[in-house]
Amino acid sequence: MIHDFIKALRASNIRISVAETMEAIETLNHVGLFNRQLLKDSLSLVLAKTRDDKETYSNCFDLFFTMATTETTEIAAQDSLDATPATENKKSHSDELQNEGSSSLLELIEKSDQTALAENIAIAAQQVQLSNIKIFTQRGIYARRILEQMGVSELERKIHDLARVGEEDAYNYLKLRKAQTLESVLELVDKNLLLYTANSGANLRQEILEKTPLARIEIRDFKTMHELVKKLSKRLISIHSRRRRKAKRGVLDVRQTIRKNMQFDGVLFNTVWKKVQIDRPKVIAVCDVSGSVAQTARFLLMFLYSVHEIIPKVRSFAFSNQLGEITSLFEKMPIEIALNEAINQWGMGSTDYGGALHELERLVGDEIDSKTTVLILGDGRSNYGDPGHLALKRMHLKSKNVMWLNPEPRTFWNTGDSEMNKFNASCDRTESCRSIRHLERIVSDIARRTV
Amino acid sequence: MTESSNADKAITALKDALKEHDYIASQNISTAVYLAQKLSKPILVEGPPGVGKTELAKATALLLNKSMIRLQCYEGLDESKALYEWKYGKQLLYTQVLKEKLSELTSDSESLKQSVEKLNEFDDTFFSADFLEPRPLLKALWAEKGAVLLIDEIDKSDLEFEAFLLEILQDYQISIPEIGTVKSSVPPIVFLTSNNTREIGDALKRRCLHLYIPFPDSKLEREIVRSRIPNIEATLEKQIVTFVQEIREMDLKKVPAVSETLDWAKALILLNVHSLESNIVRSTLNVLLKFQDDIEYIEPEIPTLIRSAAR
Repeated sequence: MIHDFIKALRASNIRISVAETMEAIETLNHVGLFNRQLLKDSLSLVLAKTRDDKETYSNCFDLFFTMATTETTEIAAQDSLDATPATENKKSHSDELQNEGSSSLLELIEKSDQTALAENIAIAAQQVQLSNIKIFTQRGIYARRILEQMGVSELERKIHDLARVGEEDAYNYLKLRKAQTLESVLELVDKNLLLYTANSGANLRQEILEKTPLARIEIRDFKTMHELVKKLSKRLISIHSRRRRKAKRGVLDVRQTIRKNMQFDGVLFNTVWKKVQIDRPKVIAVCDVSGSVAQTARFLLMFLYSVHEIIPKVRSFAFSNQLGEITSLFEKMPIEIALNEAINQWGMGSTDYGGALHELERLVGDEIDSKTTVLILGDGRSNYGDPGHLALKRMHLKSKNVMWLNPEPRTFWNTGDSEMNKFNASCDRTESCRSIRHLERIVSDIARRTV
Repeated sequence: MTESSNADKAITALKDALKEHDYIASQNISTAVYLAQKLSKPILVEGPPGVGKTELAKATALLLNKSMIRLQCYEGLDESKALYEWKYGKQLLYTQVLKEKLSELTSDSESLKQSVEKLNEFDDTFFSADFLEPRPLLKALWAEKGAVLLIDEIDKSDLEFEAFLLEILQDYQISIPEIGTVKSSVPPIVFLTSNNTREIGDALKRRCLHLYIPFPDSKLEREIVRSRIPNIEATLEKQIVTFVQEIREMDLKKVPAVSETLDWAKALILLNVHSLESNIVRSTLNVLLKFQDDIEYIEPEIPTLIRSAAR
């Protein structure tokens, strides 16, 4: 049973190693099974090792143990504790029960013994390994297998016989009881389904979303996407904060050391360390939120939002036909509101790259220095107007880095009104950034360079 | 049946014993301490600052009558500070003594070879336990009666140090290159605490029981206040706890911890306050809240909060 429970926990995204499983079994030996709260507390110490996990664990525990009736819990638990000497007796005991169960669904129904019936269902469910259920379409199959395990064919034969003989009352009664049994079996199957597959759907969805081009992601997946982006930024933060610390440590500064120790007759007594000057990275990000990229604008902004969380000094701008700063918006508001505000305020016009880039130069041109990275998110389609690449070129000369992320695949660049060729000349890097996977790679790269 | 009721009893007894040492434990906490003893596993305690993570280790040490050894982690902590250091001064002295003795010893030998042989008759005492300066980790392993080892704020240390701890936490032993493996006779009870400034590695987590201590509910917190400040008036104590609990629900930069509740209660007693009043609360709010923004945010709410606390 403990294995089933751990399977259920794993299904809801808690990572549990084999060693931890063994610990859980050892814990069971110490605390026993009869005090539910105690069991819950102690297993939570062994199995759930972050705060989020604890919450998931708690839900999972309640769901799992309300399902197992007390009787079967006892038997199954003894099964799982193979090491205890009592196992053999109990095993034979449960075998008896099973034999009894599989032969006498008919009897049970005639006796209308509800508890025994429920017990039999649980045992049959164990025998057909209901815990292996994967997707909801398997419901029917598992329900049927359980019924068969309980000997439903005998019952069906009887019902059939009764129908032929024409005993209406008995026929109807049995038929009703069979339907009721099916109901309770289905209920059990559903609970199991919920328990063991809680997250697999969501996991699949996330995996697909990671690879889907941003333009094709629908608004209803926004929440999931946000979670993904958040996860991404968290991962990046933990990787890059470490690198920064390492850079701080420095090496021995020999010249300074000798000089400092003149006062001790040149005996090297005090050490002086080279100080690594850590560049405070500055990022200026510009995001196109116009109609032509309406689909992706939301996700590009979302990405920008996560950049804000990772890199300390970022100034963000959004534009379509006009350009405006959205830094304070991003810093103060939660993501949903910030995104909507940004799009409402600056979006939905037709793109004017020329105007926007000139305006950007006017606003931050003086701030751009050799430590600044300029990041532009947009499709580079200027509606046949002035692309403003000269302004970009001037900024490029002053800055450390100009990066252009384009949500279109490379093959579409320079078709129609796309001016990527002109922009390309004044960029250090141009990348096609179409999915979360791309985003991850690129952000990681930026963070590495700016640190 | 017996195991379970035994465990139950033992845990309740543990809880009472902790209470005698001024630590009010929840069921979950006492279960953790009980299991840590039974499974001889370290406990990783996480939770917001000021909920009594360190206190738990202290109380356990008092309870088990073992010495408590504390290792405060910080960035750049390395094994010479955590595990052992050679006593260089003593080693230097030893060489001086050795020098004099040497000439005596080798004076009667004729060849160099002979004197080397003579020297080999002595043990290699230079790198031996005599010259070892034990630091907290080694002290805990050497303690004859066992000890309570508190590794405080493990999240502040470097990843390398975390990896270095793995051997101790798993087998209660440590390898010193010059001597060999030191294994403890009585495994110490180990507490690790973390404030979650960074995620602890999976390898470390796997070796520990994981205990999360949240802010206590009002019943538990009142009990804590009563046990720590026995001479407090019942009405004041109830008002203080309700007030703090309500503040914790609000959107603050730093919510007040249990230790801050206690400080506040002590301050109010010193000021001879019998029940909360808005001007007194306003002037003592800085004991409870540590950010000016928070104080400004709470100030207009004070009358409402007091009213609901007085109810």
